[in-house]
Parts: sequence; structure tokens; C-alpha cells
Amino acid sequence: MQQDGTYTIAFDDPGEYDRDMLGGKGFGLVEMTRNGLRVPPGCVVSTHACRHYLNEGGLPASLAEEVLERLAQLERRTGKTFGTGPEPLLLSVRSGAPISMPGMMDTILNVGLGRSAAIALADATGDTRFMADVLFRFHCMYSETVLGGLDVPERAEFDEVFAELGTDSDAGTVYDKVWQWCQDRVVEDVGEAVPEEPRQQLLGAVEAVFRSWNTRRAVTYRDLHAIPHDLGTAVVVQSMVFGNLGADSGSGVAFTRNPVTGEPGLYGEFLSGSQGEDVVAGVRTPLPVQQMAETMPAVYEELAAVCARLESTHNDVMDIEFTVEHSHLYLLQVRAAKRTAQAALRIAADFVDEGIHSPGQALQAVTAEHIRHVQRPGFAPDEVAQARDDGRLLTTGVGAAPGQVSGRLTFDPSLAEERAKGGERVILVRHVTSPTDLHGMIAAAGTVTATGGSTSHAAVVARALGSTCVVGCSALEVDEQASTVRVGERVLRDGEPVSIDGGTGEVFTGELSTTEPAEEHTRLGELLTHAHSSADVDVLAKVTTPEQARRALAKGASGIVVGVDDVLAAAGLLAEVSKTLRGGGGRLDTARLESVLVEQFSALLAACPDVEVGVRALDVHADELAEVLDSTQAFVEHPQLALPLGEPELIKAQIRALATAAATVDGSTTPYLVVRNLTDPAEAAALRATRDELDESDRLVVGAYVTSPRGALLASEISAHSEMLWLEMRVMQATMFGIAPRHLLAREPLEGYVHSGLLGTDPRQQIDESVAPLLDSVAEAHANHPQCPAGVRLSAAVSEPVAATLYSHGFRRFSVDLDELAPCVLALGKAAFAESGTRREQATNGA
Amino acid sequence: MTVAVLEKQLYDVLNAVVLKKMADISAISEATARDDEDVKTAMETLGERSLVVMVGESAMPTDEAVAALVTAAAKHYDEVRQDTVIAQVADKFEAVNQRFLEAMSAWQQVDVGGRKVANDHQDSSYDAKIIDKMDKLVSRLNRQLEVLAERDPRFGTYSTRFDRAMCLVEGGEIDYVSSPTLDSLHNIWFEFHEDLLRTLGRARKE
Repeated sequence: MQQDGTYTIAFDDPGEYDRDMLGGKGFGLVEMTRNGLRVPPGCVVSTHACRHYLNEGGLPASLAEEVLERLAQLERRTGKTFGTGPEPLLLSVRSGAPISMPGMMDTILNVGLGRSAAIALADATGDTRFMADVLFRFHCMYSETVLGGLDVPERAEFDEVFAELGTDSDAGTVYDKVWQWCQDRVVEDVGEAVPEEPRQQLLGAVEAVFRSWNTRRAVTYRDLHAIPHDLGTAVVVQSMVFGNLGADSGSGVAFTRNPVTGEPGLYGEFLSGSQGEDVVAGVRTPLPVQQMAETMPAVYEELAAVCARLESTHNDVMDIEFTVEHSHLYLLQVRAAKRTAQAALRIAADFVDEGIHSPGQALQAVTAEHIRHVQRPGFAPDEVAQARDDGRLLTTGVGAAPGQVSGRLTFDPSLAEERAKGGERVILVRHVTSPTDLHGMIAAAGTVTATGGSTSHAAVVARALGSTCVVGCSALEVDEQASTVRVGERVLRDGEPVSIDGGTGEVFTGELSTTEPAEEHTRLGELLTHAHSSADVDVLAKVTTPEQARRALAKGASGIVVGVDDVLAAAGLLAEVSKTLRGGGGRLDTARLESVLVEQFSALLAACPDVEVGVRALDVHADELAEVLDSTQAFVEHPQLALPLGEPELIKAQIRALATAAATVDGSTTPYLVVRNLTDPAEAAALRATRDELDESDRLVVGAYVTSPRGALLASEISAHSEMLWLEMRVMQATMFGIAPRHLLAREPLEGYVHSGLLGTDPRQQIDESVAPLLDSVAEAHANHPQCPAGVRLSAAVSEPVAATLYSHGFRRFSVDLDELAPCVLALGKAAFAESGTRREQATNGA
Repeated sequence: MTVAVLEKQLYDVLNAVVLKKMADISAISEATARDDEDVKTAMETLGERSLVVMVGESAMPTDEAVAALVTAAAKHYDEVRQDTVIAQVADKFEAVNQRFLEAMSAWQQVDVGGRKVANDHQDSSYDAKIIDKMDKLVSRLNRQLEVLAERDPRFGTYSTRFDRAMCLVEGGEIDYVSSPTLDSLHNIWFEFHEDLLRTLGRARKE
């Protein structure tokens, strides 16, 4: 039993209270009240009462009386009366545990709506339908959450019930009819009725919150998260405010900045003379919140001041739900605003400019996913405009999963799968989708359906897949048998190109090309500058063409890396060059390779003046090359090819080609060559010796590209004989797991496997413990041999934990895929700030 | 030659194969509440009748499979289709289905100033509320599944699958909410919906 014998605390009671006693929600409301923010008055039934309930199996004997006293207090404060008019006091009852958890009773609104209160509510709002609606909602909520009803009426049924009443029914009759209808339903469902008496409703709701502490889901959650089972929950009892009490009332939502664009300034909506539900239900259209400056200037001024204060207390953009009741502003809910990726970046940059956040704090608010999102290519705007002018807009449906993609029109899911396997992009068009179409949807870049809304199965599946989807194109007549789709007079056939926009719902005929959105309006560049200067890293981009190289440098890459086989493949010369290579009888014929490389690299180097260009030598084991070269046969003819330095002439040809190409370019760019799969210091020494046999003008820097544990463990010795060292993370991880490296690039099979708990570490997301000593060995190699820089190559999406781990092992040189430049710089910047934060803390503690 | 209407056991197995498009024996056994041996035997017969082809360990339906199911369902469920209790269950399902799909959408996308944005699952209390809602809706569906299972025990298997997916979700494996490649809540729901429609000879609206 608590010392002073009280189980309730009003929001504005003086004294010290902690979160364990008031719960998270209650504590927040007390804080806000104390900070002078006006929330609807109320009280908290503390966790002590819950513990009593759990131990004794019933509410404390004194609780009912105490709650009634609090009610009287609330009545005095609000000028309303519980259970009756002229203005009835209605309450919301919510659970509020010290730690939020699922399975707990959520909220019951409008508690206290007995017959007399209901009639008074109809009078006060002048709206009998509103009263009936509130009554219906209250009854449903109480039935479902307190009585555990499963067969709760749907919204549509309210319209039916109300329609039967006729327009001239008085409030009392309406109450009786609606109540009885709801009551019959719940009694049939659970054999229990909702209490009609307001005080019983309140105590019933409080008890239901306590009871929900031990629902199966809540217990499971506490077990899982090691939350003590005797903590108990508090109950928040708060007065309801009404925005529909006339022109001096209303309800709205305000954001302290625009959550869509990130633009500074108050943003939101307000609807005068309404309850929040009207806005949600789309019954009436709200106006921009700025409109309040004219209709209720004093309230608007207060709202603007409150928003400014909330933003500066929380140092974050806030989302505020509010109601104005008789010209009094009440805050219903205040939380950190959810925002688009674009807004997240802009807000982070602005917060630094405005001195609200340090660069380090600002970076913490941004994720790699935000960056990938804003960098996602979209249709070229001028092409879209042209397509509209040319009448290529076929139809507009409902955009259900965002994205802008072109592809071949395909009606059959299996054909879609087949085409996608052949490397084609496919847009799957169906009248309606069923589970049997899933494989087609997985394969397709986008899906279009003639039926359904934004919550249809097709939309849900497309969003889960991250693919693009337009639904509800009712103008489309899809004939799946004939493989045609008709819109009015136009008929499109299987295989024709179409383009869809999953945001706007537009479907175009023909292809539309995509471009990367401009970076400046997201202010990404500024954030990356902070990240770069903090981390002090070199991040190089992996490219294959001069055009990609230019893009990489424009995006701030410190340099580029290329693979010889990739360059050949991109130029369409891989097959031919491989053939001539093997055509020299017993010997390799490298002449053609050399001349092709001179040509390709001249163009590439011209695109990258004055930057580091790392070239990885031809690797016969690389997937694509192995296929083209028919490596099994090649190894029979030229077994020396199977090992990195088995054919010195091949290495020489590549070095000569690079040197010749470099000489054709004016700039000072000098590429270097690294050879993959080296594992031995002798190899590194031999590589250098091979290079030294060349003419002086051809002697480029050479080095090792390490992919194996042996190579990493001998990194120091290898570095002693090298001028450059790269470490390939993906192959290294794959080797430690004994998985083919290509499986680290795809979602499956690892996703499902890790999910089943069969691997403790997902090698795509984290660096395995077994790899850590290898990283230390490579880092140490660089410390011992500073003349040989050591970098790490990361393939595919850069995982933040992987980047952070590498940073903490001392790595400062990285190469990543072109699109992952910015995410990687961000991840490293965050790691750097976190590290310097920890150092500062240690310094402070030490002092 | 008229092809014999599928007997019930073959119907159940073929139905599961069609719903899953590609499935191994154990998944079919679970979805039909039959043991592996029965399923294997049924699969052989279905293979002989060219309704199923085996690709490695997985079964796939042929182009004729759906038509065979539609014909067989009309015979096997003639009585069920006249049953007013079942008709009520189906009507109720439509309403619950709508709410379930709305909850799924809220799980995937959050509203940001009037714009839909992918849920990044950083707000655990938002997610917890939706999982609560789905749990309630699944409980409501389970009650309807009980009624259906009295007419055909196959429908009881959905409850077992829902329970398992729900446990995984509660354990933090949130991909089991809507992933199309796992036996997720949405996948099970979607399959049930299709199954119910075929049983009752109704058409899918969306």
C-alpha cells in the first residue's frame, strides 16, 4: 500500500512523481501541464493501483471514491458535468505503462455517455447525428476493448441504423434506439452488456486497463524483452474536448515544419466546427492551418508560439494534434513528426544552419535509406510532359506503391517470370490479382490492375516487394486470354512498352527514360560535407564506363576503381577478346587484349583527370568471365590461367596498356593495377618484379587485391612488397561462411535462412566475428607499411553496421558501387561522430 | 471422354498446390491437414491426370488445374453454397477483410502530412498498435474459420498458420506481417480469401 494512501494524481498536482508510477503517457501529460502547455485536464491512476489489482484480484477499496473526487475536481476545472448537461464531461481512458508494449488495452473515448449526457451533447452541439455517432463509437470501443467482443459492428452499419430513425426523431429516441441496437449486438456476441451508468463505465474501463496487463500478447512481450511482470500499468483519465461546439471551436493537426518537403514554417490543417474524426473520414475538407490567422487570430498566435516552443524543447520537428474548444487551444497529442526522406535531409541540414543540431547530431537523424530514396531515379520531367502532350497517357488509376518504371506489357504471370529471367523489365497487367499471380508480381518491375483500391491485396503485395503498383484502372479492359488491353478505341498487345508511375497512378504507352533527381533541393550535399570532414575518408566509386566515371566524380567520389573484365564486358568486347586470348595455340595471345584496353582506358582516364584510378586485373574466376571464357576448358588448355600470376605476360600486357592509355591523356592521372586473389608475399614480390621488367615509362604502381583469409593474415608481409592493397569484404565474408559470394548480393537465399535462425550473423549486414582478426591484420599491415595504402571494397548496398565496424578498425579508404557513395559517406560520418563522442566522454570521465 | 470430377482428397491437395503455385510436400500436408504419404499418393494421381507437374521437390499446377478445381468445387460444395450460415460468414468476412487490408496498408505506409510514406518501422508504438489490430482481426477471422471448419476441416489449417505467423511477428520477426515470400499473415489471409471464393463460387472483387 502506498504511504499517503492515494492512487490518483491530477496532471497539475504539485510534488515529485516518476515515470514508474505514472507510466509513460501520464508522465508526459504531467510534464506538459507543468511546462504551461494546455492539455485537456485529467488525472492518472497510478501503477500502485494496478499492482494492488494484480496482487489482490480487485481494485483497491478506496479507489472508486478517490476517482469520484477527481471527477468533481475535473468538473470544477472544466465547467462541465459528468453524466449530464448542460455541457457533459466525457472522458478518454487509456493505458500507460512505464514501457510501452503491445497487447495492452489502447483507448476508450467518450466514457461517461449515459442517456442524460447524450441528450445534453446533442443539445450542446446542435447535432443529433453527431451524438448518435459518438454513442455508436463509444459502444463499439467499449464492447471490443473492455468486454472482448469480436463481432463489433462496422461503420457502415451505423449509417443503416441511423437512416432507419428518420430525421424528426428527438435526441432521447435516437439515444434509445442506437443504444439498444448496439446492446443487443454485444449481448449476443459476448453475453454481457455495456454499463449504462457513467460511473460504472469509467470504473469498468479502468479495470479493463489493469486486466490487459496480463493478456497473452503483453506477457509474451515482457518475457521477450525482460520487462518485470510486476511493473504494472497506469491509467490516464482525461477530459474530452469538443471542436464542434460552434464557430469558435475546431480541430486540426500542425507540424512545426512541412513533413513532406522539410520547408520551415508551420504546416497543417484546421477544420472549424469539427471533431478530428470528420477530417479523417473525409466528410469535410480542412483548410491550411494558416487560415486560423484570420478566423481566430489569438488562438493562431498561441498555436504558433506553442509549436516554436515544442520544437526547441525537443530539438526535433513535432506533429501536434489539437482541438480548439470555445477559443481555448488544447493539445491532444505531441510527438516527433514522421517525415519523407526528402524532408529528413532538408531538416537535418537546416538544423545545422540554425544551430539547433551539431553536424554529428544532424547526421544521426538521417539514414542511408533516406539517401537511397531521394537518389532513386524518376522519369525525366520533360519526357513526361511531352508524353502527356502527345496523348500517350493511357489512363490514370490509383497509385498504390511508388516508383516510376517502364517495361514490356505482359499479361501472364509465368511469362513475366520468364521474361524477367531473360533480363527484361516487365509490367504485369491483370484484371485482378490472386495469390497464384505472386511469382509474376515478384518478377515484374511493376504491376497494374483494373480493379481494387490502395488497400487491395495487389497493393499490399507490391509494397511488401518494394515494386511499383497502380491499381483501380477501371478504364482498362483486360483480356488475359487474348493478351490485349483496351482503353476506349486503343488496344495494346502483349510485349508493347508501357510506363507506370506508382505515385500518381498514371499509365503511359511507350518507354520513358529516367534521370536522377537534382541533389540541391534535398541539401544532401551539405550533410555529406559534414560527414566527409568528420570521417576524413577516401571513398572511391566502382565504375565501368567514362560516363559513370564522370557521374561518380560529380557526386564527390575521391577516385574510381574499375575491373578490366567489367570494362571489356561493358564495351561488348569480352567474348571476342577472350577468344583471341586463347587463340594463340599453346600460348596466350595478348595483343588484341592490349590494343582494346588502350582504347577503352584512354576514354576512361580522360573522364577522370587528377584523381586516383585503381584498376583490377582480369580475373578468370570472376563469374561473368568464367562463363564467357568457358573456364573449365580454358584451364585444360592454359592451366597457368587458374592462378593469379600464372601468366606474367597477361599482367604485363595490362600494365603496358594502362601506361599507354595514361600517356594519351593530358591530365596527371596515373592508374595502378591490382591483382586479385593474391595470398602470398612471394606473389606480391613477383608482381613487382614482373612490372620492373617493363620499360621505365610503363612501370605503373602495382599491388594486391586480397580476397582470402590467408591473404589477410599475411597482409603485413604482402604489403612489404606492394604499393597498394585492397581487401574485398564480400568474398572474405563468403569464404568464412563457405557460401558462394554471389549469394551475398541477393535477398534470397540468405534472407529466409537467417530468419529461420540458422545463422547468427547475416554476412550481408554485419561483419562476422571470425573476420574481425583478419581486419586487424590488414589494419596492422598498413600501420607497419605506410607506403602501401590499404582499402576495403564493399559490394552492393553498404550496411551501416559494416561501415562502422570497418571505421572502428581504422580503415579510411573504401570503394563502393556508384549509387552507394553517399550512403557510405553518411555511414562513415556517423561512425566518426560516434567515435569522437565516445572519446570526448572518456576524456571527461578521466578528468 | 469426360474427366472424372476430382474426389475430395485430390481436390484439397490440388487446391493447395494452386494457391501456393509452387510448394513442397510438407507445405501441402500442412495446408490440407493430411499426412505426407497421402499427399504423395494424391500428387501421383494428379500428375497422371496432368493437373500437377513436379519440378524437383516442388509441385506446380498445370494450366488445366484451376478449371478442374472450379468444376469440382461446384459439386463438393453445393450444400455449403446453399447454407445461410456460411453465406453470413462470407458476408462478414468482406467487412473484416477490408479492415485487415487497411491495417496492412497502415503497416506498410504511414501518413505524412497527407502523403503516404513507407513505414520505416522505427516507431515501435505505432507498429505495436497495428499488430494489436491485426491480432484482433485474426481472432475474429478464427471464429469464422471455426464455423467453416465444421463444414470442411481444411479451413481449420488456416488458424494454425495464423497462430504461428502471429507468434513470429510478436517475437520481432516483422517480415511475417506482409512478406509475399514467407508464410506471412497477409499471405495466409490472401490464400484463405482465394480458397473461400472458390469454395463458394464467388468472384474476387479486387
